[in-house]
Amino acid sequence: MPAGWKSLLSFRGPERRGTTLVLGFISFVIVLVLWWLAAALKFLPPQYLPSPGAVVVRLYQLFVQYGFLGDIGISIFRVWTAFLLSALMAIPLGIMMSSFPIVNGMSQSLIDFIRYLPVPALVPLTIIWLGIGESSKIALLWLGTFFQLVLLVADDARRVPREYIEIGLTTGAKPRQILRSIVLPAMLPSMVDNLRITLGWCWTYLIIAEIVAADSGIGYVIMSARRYVKTDEVMAGILAIGIIGLATDQAIRWLHRRWFVYMT
Amino acid sequence: MAHFLEIEHVSKSFGLNGSGGIHVIDDISIQVEEGEVVVFLGPSGCGKSTLMRMVGGLETPTSGRIILEGKEVTGPDRQKGMVFQSYSSFPWLKVIDNVRFGLRFRSDLASAEKDRIARHYLQMVGLAEFEDYWINRISGGMRQRVAIARTFAAGPNILLMDEPFGALDAQNREFLQLQLRDLCLKERRTVIFVTHDVEEAVFLADRIFVFSARPAKILEEIAIRDLLPPTRDLKLRESETFFKLRNRILGLTRTQALRSEQIEVKGA
Repeated sequence: MPAGWKSLLSFRGPERRGTTLVLGFISFVIVLVLWWLAAALKFLPPQYLPSPGAVVVRLYQLFVQYGFLGDIGISIFRVWTAFLLSALMAIPLGIMMSSFPIVNGMSQSLIDFIRYLPVPALVPLTIIWLGIGESSKIALLWLGTFFQLVLLVADDARRVPREYIEIGLTTGAKPRQILRSIVLPAMLPSMVDNLRITLGWCWTYLIIAEIVAADSGIGYVIMSARRYVKTDEVMAGILAIGIIGLATDQAIRWLHRRWFVYMT
Repeated sequence: MAHFLEIEHVSKSFGLNGSGGIHVIDDISIQVEEGEVVVFLGPSGCGKSTLMRMVGGLETPTSGRIILEGKEVTGPDRQKGMVFQSYSSFPWLKVIDNVRFGLRFRSDLASAEKDRIARHYLQMVGLAEFEDYWINRISGGMRQRVAIARTFAAGPNILLMDEPFGALDAQNREFLQLQLRDLCLKERRTVIFVTHDVEEAVFLADRIFVFSARPAKILEEIAIRDLLPPTRDLKLRESETFFKLRNRILGLTRTQALRSEQIEVKGA
């Protein structure tokens, strides 16, 4: 066994990027093999558990025959529109909450109240108010993420060390300049992490929105496949979400490493 | 004649509205002249940092007032520079940009002039060849030198240093004390330096104010400049005078440190 592998077993041992990637790949392969075995040995009938091969074939068919790319496109559009809307509103408000007691006092308990409402409970309201078009779905995603994100951003801003702010104050910076040149860069790494996590929630709520009322999108495809017990199609849809999620997450992590080289 | 800095009958209490109010500073008056290096020496938690922060305008006295160059201190500004023990420089800026940050909000200086000043002070603290390094890649001692360079570059009337070498190892600390004393002598800037380290205080100071345990009072004022030469070197640390001074002050502070501990225990 090479020396690098031994450290994988040591308590709180060092982590190497290369080996982490390989390990991640291995666990995917293990799950895939178990799934394939379970399907091949017919533990469950194919209506319940189709083989990985069948799912991949179905996924391919979805793309070439049923225009699945369009559904993926519309889902990504919904997620990103709502996510960007949330972020653009939550970042300034969160920073203001950390900066001024009046903003914090006015918004904290209101946000906490809304934050605890389960998103599915808001589905009827968004439909009554906004119908079943794009706006009600985006509104639902926004409701699910904005209020969480505001508090996360406010916390990120509050965690900026007092010393940093005071360096600004004693070099003649005005509050605006402190926010721009100190608070924002200081909180950015943890905020980008929180944005990444919030983007993941958007996908969760998207499926709720698309399952309830939609005629397009990945959630809609999954739901209509369920109606005809096309389990392979359901799983193909789930697989697609997983792949998109994994790819986005890895992309943001990669950007994080590039942008914040100074942290290492 | 008016003094450069006058601390007039300053007291400070925290949270007096409730029952658990803490009386931190008890009627302190101090005068500081221009170009002096003054050290506030006292046990941890005695209120010496609070007093210095009030000079910086980062805290307000409960009673009394602080007058810097004829004007009452009401808040922080560019004239009162600060060096902290931790988080003293910004990790997202390179070394040179950290030093330059001291001049960032000055619209009266051209960019080239800011560069020149930043380079000059980086040179003064001996970090010229590290200007393109990230803060997290240099040692703790170097980070403090970056912070000192930034504060000097900002050109304040008074420099306030809150145990800037407190987290460094002994060798590093000695070296930085030497460098700082040298810099102060060259720049003739007024400095207030807060520490609980007696040797550090003696080595750096023109005058030392020894603080009592909380609530802080001045136990004694020691005019080091009458006892030690202005230029200090490492040999001085082994001299008879230095040794005697150190022992005398240690004697003073030892009883205070003990009292301070007892206050902590009673308070808990």
